[in-house]
This record gives sequence, structure tokens and C-alpha cells, in this order.
Amino acid sequence: MIGTGIRGIAGRITPKFGVLGWIVGWVVALAAIPSLFVLYSSAQLSWTEWLNLGSTRLPGLLWNTLLLAMLVAIGCFALGVSTAWLVARRKFAGRKLAIWLLVLPLAIPTYVFAHIYSSMLTEEGWLGLTWIFFFGHTIDIPDIYNAVGVAVILSLAGFSYVFLLVRAALLRSNRRLEEAARIHGASPLQTFRRINLPLLRPAIAAGLAVVVLHVLSDFGAVSMLRYQTFTLSIYSQMSGRFDYNAAAGLSLVLLALSLTFLALERFFRSKQRYYSSAQAQIVKAKPASQAELWLIWIWIGLVSLFAFVLPVTWMCVWSWEAWAADYITAEFWGYVFNSGVVSFTAATLAIILAFPIALYHARHPSISSHTFLHVANMGFALPGPVVALGVITFMLSVMPALYGGLAALIMAVVVRFLPLAIQAQEASMQQLTPSLEQAGRILGAGPFENLWRVTLPMVRGGLVSAWVLVFIDVLKELPATLLLRPVGFDTLPVRIWLEASEEMLELAAPAALILVIGTCPAIWVMMRSEKIK
Amino acid sequence: MIDIKKTLTLILILSLFSTLFSLTYAADDELIVFSGRKDTFVKPVVKAFTKKTGIKVLLHTAESTALLNKLRLEKSATQADLFLSNDAGNLQLGSQMGLFRPINNALSELIPEQYRATDNRWLGLSARARVLVVNTDRVKNENEFDSVFDLAKPSLKGQIAITNSTNESYIAGVTVYLKATNRTRVKHWLEGLKANTESNVFAKHSHIVTAVARGRKTVGLVNHYYIYRHLAQHPDAPIAIVMPDQGDNAMGVAWNVAGVAISKYSKKQPLAERFVEFLVSVEGQKLFAETNDEYPVRSGVAAAQAIPPAASYKIANVPMVELGRYRNETIDLLEEVGMP
Repeated sequence: MIGTGIRGIAGRITPKFGVLGWIVGWVVALAAIPSLFVLYSSAQLSWTEWLNLGSTRLPGLLWNTLLLAMLVAIGCFALGVSTAWLVARRKFAGRKLAIWLLVLPLAIPTYVFAHIYSSMLTEEGWLGLTWIFFFGHTIDIPDIYNAVGVAVILSLAGFSYVFLLVRAALLRSNRRLEEAARIHGASPLQTFRRINLPLLRPAIAAGLAVVVLHVLSDFGAVSMLRYQTFTLSIYSQMSGRFDYNAAAGLSLVLLALSLTFLALERFFRSKQRYYSSAQAQIVKAKPASQAELWLIWIWIGLVSLFAFVLPVTWMCVWSWEAWAADYITAEFWGYVFNSGVVSFTAATLAIILAFPIALYHARHPSISSHTFLHVANMGFALPGPVVALGVITFMLSVMPALYGGLAALIMAVVVRFLPLAIQAQEASMQQLTPSLEQAGRILGAGPFENLWRVTLPMVRGGLVSAWVLVFIDVLKELPATLLLRPVGFDTLPVRIWLEASEEMLELAAPAALILVIGTCPAIWVMMRSEKIK
Repeated sequence: MIDIKKTLTLILILSLFSTLFSLTYAADDELIVFSGRKDTFVKPVVKAFTKKTGIKVLLHTAESTALLNKLRLEKSATQADLFLSNDAGNLQLGSQMGLFRPINNALSELIPEQYRATDNRWLGLSARARVLVVNTDRVKNENEFDSVFDLAKPSLKGQIAITNSTNESYIAGVTVYLKATNRTRVKHWLEGLKANTESNVFAKHSHIVTAVARGRKTVGLVNHYYIYRHLAQHPDAPIAIVMPDQGDNAMGVAWNVAGVAISKYSKKQPLAERFVEFLVSVEGQKLFAETNDEYPVRSGVAAAQAIPPAASYKIANVPMVELGRYRNETIDLLEEVGMP
């Protein structure tokens, strides 16, 4: 009697399984469209065409892409872990400023980095002139149109993800383990290597995973610096030869690569689980000595100089030129508005669509919920141009009436960034105990009221950070926007792209600057919600 | 039990979305031009046209090939009325895909035959020449280079500057050499070129001119206007233009044209034809070409003063339609050789 009673209540705590399942199914089907398009198109390739791809393009592309991913992972590890450790373990003047300086590079898109550094490294550019001042003409100015150059650019643009995750993990970690190691005679370096590093492995792995996925799907920087990765080659197959099947074939390989990588990362992470006891004492940061203070600021200053200060100064100077030359017209503010509209709409839609998927997975973990989650996550591993191609094809054949407006663009960016929204929400839902919802139902709330008054307020933090993450990425999105924007609808990234390809520095700079400024409030919200946790 | 206020908010948000989704951005009486040519070059032309006719024009700028993809996928759903491209190859490929409609004879015949489609589905508007830029400090004898084929000489190892092989002007140039000579010769040439670059190729033509001007390279292969653009900013730069392949039996300089086509699915054909009419008029021709120091294609319209007159040198006798017909073969050859 009692048993069935409890089961009866438990069965009613969430909206009916069937309804939620159906909603999730539909959302996932929508998210799967580009992947289905890739599968369908690559199925059109004959064996000889596959063999041809395999013998001519694949080896070089695999090497280029993996080399780049590895170099960027090393770069982000070095920059992210070192700065996170300094900020979390030492108390020093200007620590808050340092944290901001290390997070803000997230606001600068990779293609802006690439554009700024390639123009600063010419013989008329700031860095070029500095180089000539120091080395004269005897040593050539470093060239960034190669693997190392692209890796440096992408590391500067991406290390903040590692920084954020590792810092959070360091703040959570237990002081006693470190103390025990020190008492047993380990040097600080040994302690770091043998205690901190293994404990940090999940956070580092997660940070590097985000970074590597960004590398695999990056279009802007690699195409500006003409470094042939999968994504760029897929784009050239599409646009140079109009060969969608070969593009799809390459995308399939890239998708397999990303999924293998993700599976590996999950596998290693699941084997490395550490728990801290309830009385864990949070490590207190040690005040830095005078010498340490200098060293810390030299290192953090150097990193943020190249990752944020220099690019932003460049933007400000050239924006000033643009302002003085009256280039900032009403049209320009139109681009700002357009960017805002797309990012706002897409971020809002993405968290609404991600909610049922995350809720379903958190409440009814099963094979089907896992499958849904993985399928929905595939959008992130596909290059933007391919997502765009899939969406155009789908819309024109299924709902041509909606084509021509914003719908296609919004659909594509939502599909691309849905995984971000799902992950952020899922994390907060897993901390929510079902008993709270049960209590709500027992006290007489209907399923919807329960959702509004219990579930939603509890996961608000997760919703906010999901919204912010999607907003930032949509604001910076380039390849899908280039192809899918309505006629005459230019956004900031599109303008940066067009002006940069014309080498119009004065015109690309203000757009980039507004992009950075627009991202700042979003980052602020994210940082604040982190502090509350 | 459901909170009415919240339901209302939900409805409000949903209706906001639906209006956003159905928004379109072009007015009915506006001509929509998909343009693969730089905004700064097209805008003055569009402005002059609107001023003259009162017809408004909406420019949708992107890479030519990306726009062609869009046209190809959208088919009858496209909003484009016209397509502007910097490369005859793209225009010809578009007509082969059946995306354009023929332009009436009265307008087409103003453009010489070799610079337009055989069925008038696109018209060339302005031409650029593929030339050599040399560093005058390093090259004393002007006759040292008289052919693009000289760039493959082993003595020039590490001294030549070319773009990467995905550049559309570069591909078009190679197509012209292929049609003007033969495959064996071009393949042999590319192999020599590849060895001479030492896998150091340039991302942009402007970088090539700078490298030659600074003496880091001796000779580069570029479109002619990049040289004049550089000289406009640095009048004292030690660079000179060399018109290659001018001998009696030589093939002549490779040209490529920027041009225009009318979308097959345009619902504003009369307006679109008026735009083309303006572009091929003497005024339009002058304006279109001079923003970028190019040659107006219509005969009798003079080019900018700074550049060598078209009549003063020999031009390769390859009709522009070949740039589209043979583009894939050129790309195949470039990939076979493994050009960086």
C-alpha cells in the first residue's frame, strides 16, 4: 500500500514522461538535421570517391588538424593552468583585475585575433616596427601563416576556458592533502605535480576539451591565415568546386574525430573521480611576497598584454581613426542592432529548447535520454558552413515559406550552440534533489506550477549561465551567419569579415570593439553567478 | 492554477519570435544585388545609379563563391535580382548551373564577344591583367623577365612571390595559361614554381607587392592594380610592372573580368536590365573600372591614366567563358602538382 502510494507520487512529480519525452524527441530531431544532411550527402559518395579523398586530402588534413589541436592544447594548458594557480593560490595587489584580464579574451573572436595580429606583424604594424627596432632587418618578422602562428592565435583566444575551470577546481580543493604532502617533505613543485595536477585533471580535461572542440570547428582564424584544417577544406570543397558530397564526406570524418575525442575525454574523466570529505577545508591563498608580486604580474601582465590589452588598444586606436573620419554612420549602428537581435533571440530560444532535454536527462536517465543528449551535442562538432548548408536544404524543402527571413539563421545558430545550453543547465539540474519537487506536488501544486515555482527558480543560475554562453558564441558566430543572413542583413562579425578582407583597418576595428564591449556584461553576469555558487 | 501573468509573458515572447522570424529586410521596389566585389568599389556605382534613376539598390556582399552557392541552393526562392562577381569563372559556372537569364542583345553587344557569355547570360564589365612586379634595385636588366614561365627558373629559388593556390585570380591565370599553351608545359611550370616558392606562399596579393618592394623577394605574380595601390601609398617604392609574354610567338598577358548577371528567378527583370544598362553605359563603365584602376571592357572607354593602356600590349587570346569551363581541371592540376 505504502509502496504504491510513494510510487504514485513519484510518477507525478514531473510532467508526464510521455509528454516530456515527445517534446525532447522533437527538439532533438530538429538539432539532428545537419547531421542527417551530412550522413545523407556522404552516402552519395562512391567507393572510388572515398578512396580518392582518402589518398589525396585526408592524410594532410588529419595531420594539419591534429597538429594544430595538439599545439593549441599545449598552449592553453601552459597559459591557463599557470595563471589559474597564481590567482587561486596567492593573494596579491590587483588580483581581481588580473582575473578580469584573464577572462576577457573570451570576448575577442578568433578571426579578430587573426586579423589584428596579421596586420600588427606587417612592417608598418606596431609589432613589426617593434621587431625591426630590436632586430633590424636581419631577422624576418615572425610569420603567423603557419601551424605555430595559428596555434598561438587560437591559444590566446581560448586559454580562458582552461583558466576558469582550473581556477574553480583549485578553489574547491582540499587544503589537507597539500599540507600532508608538504609535511612529508615534498617541495612546492612536487606538491603541485603529485597532488594538485592529478586532482585538477578533470577540470583541465574539461577545459582542454572545450578548447579542442573550438579548434576543430574554427573557421574564422584558419581561413584568414589560410591554414588547411578540416573545416577550411570542407568550406573550399563547397565553395570552390560546389562539391557538397565531398564536403559532407570530410565533415563525417571530422564528426567522427570530434566524437572519438569527446568519448576519450569522458572515459579518462570517469576514471578520475575524487571526492572530498564534508569537512574539507578550502585552501586559503597565501599573501604574495614582494618578489612574488613582481613575478606574478610580469607573467600575468605578459599573457594579458598579448591576449587582451594589445588587441583592444589596437581596436581603440583604429576606431578613433574611423570616428574621426566619420565612418561611424547610422548603418554601423544598424549592424550593432542586428547582432543584438540575433544573439538575444537565439540565446533565449536555445535555453527554452535545451530545458526539456536537460530535465529529461536529469529526471529519467536512460538509454534514450543519453542518445538524445549525444545527438543534440553533435551540432557543436560540425563546422558552421555545414550546419548552414543542412539548414538551407531542410528549410527550402520542408518550410519554404519561412525562408528569406531570420528563421534560417536563428535555427542554424541554435542548433550549433544548443549543446552549450544543455550542458550548463544539466549541471545545475543534477544538484537539484527530486524531493523538493515532490514536496511541491504534495503541497498541491500542479505540474506547471511546480515547474514555475520550484524547478525554474532552483535552476536559475544554470539558466543564466547557459543564456550567457550561447549569447556570447552567437554574437561571435561567423560562417553560418555569412551564408544564412537575410538579404541586406549584416551583423558585426560579417562586417569585420568583409572589411578585414579588404584590409580596411579603420572599418573593421569599431565593429570588433563593439563586439568586445557587448560581450562584457554577459561575462560579468557569468562571473557573478559563479561567485554566488 | 497557472499564473496568468506568466502565461501572458509567454504568449508575448512567442509572438515576438514569430514576428522576428517572418521579418524580411528588402522593400518591394528595391533591386537586390548579390555582390562578390568589394563594397567600397561597388557603392559609388550604386549611388550614381540610384541618383540617376531613382531605383534603390540593396547590396548583399560576400565571397563570390559563397553567393553562387546560395543562388544554387535557393533556386526559385532567391531574392537576388543580380549577381556581381570579380571572376569570370564564377559567372560562367553560374550560367552553366542555369542560374541566370540572357541579357538582351542591345546591351550585350556593347561588350566585346570574348568578355561575355556566348549566350549573353553574363557580361564582363572591367578587366584586370595578370602581370609581374619586380624589385628595381635587384633587377637591373628589365628584359630579365619576359614571361611568367620564367618564374620557374631554378636560378630564382626563394626569390619569387605567389599567392596560395586557392586564390581565384591565381586559378583564373593558370586556366588562361592552360588554354593558351598546353597542359604539359603548365604542369612542368607549376612544378618549377612549387620548388622556387620553398613552400612559402602569400595569403594576399598586397603582401606580395610589399615583399617585393622591401626587397625580400625579387619578383611576384599579381593583378596589375595591386602595384598601383602600393605606389599610391609609397610613391618611391622600388618596384616596376612588367607585362609578360609579349614576344611574337608569346601568348600575351592573361586577363580576367569582373562582370554581372541577372538571376533567372528575378521578378524585377525590367529594373535589373536598367541596372545593367547603366553598368555598360560609358558613365557606368568608367565609374565601375576606375574605383579599382581596372580596364573598362566596353571599347572606346578609356582606363585610368596611371595604368598601361590596353592597346599598348598583347593580351592572351582566351575567351573568358573558358575560365568557368576549365576551372575544375585547373584545380585538379594544382592539386595533382600539390601547389601550396
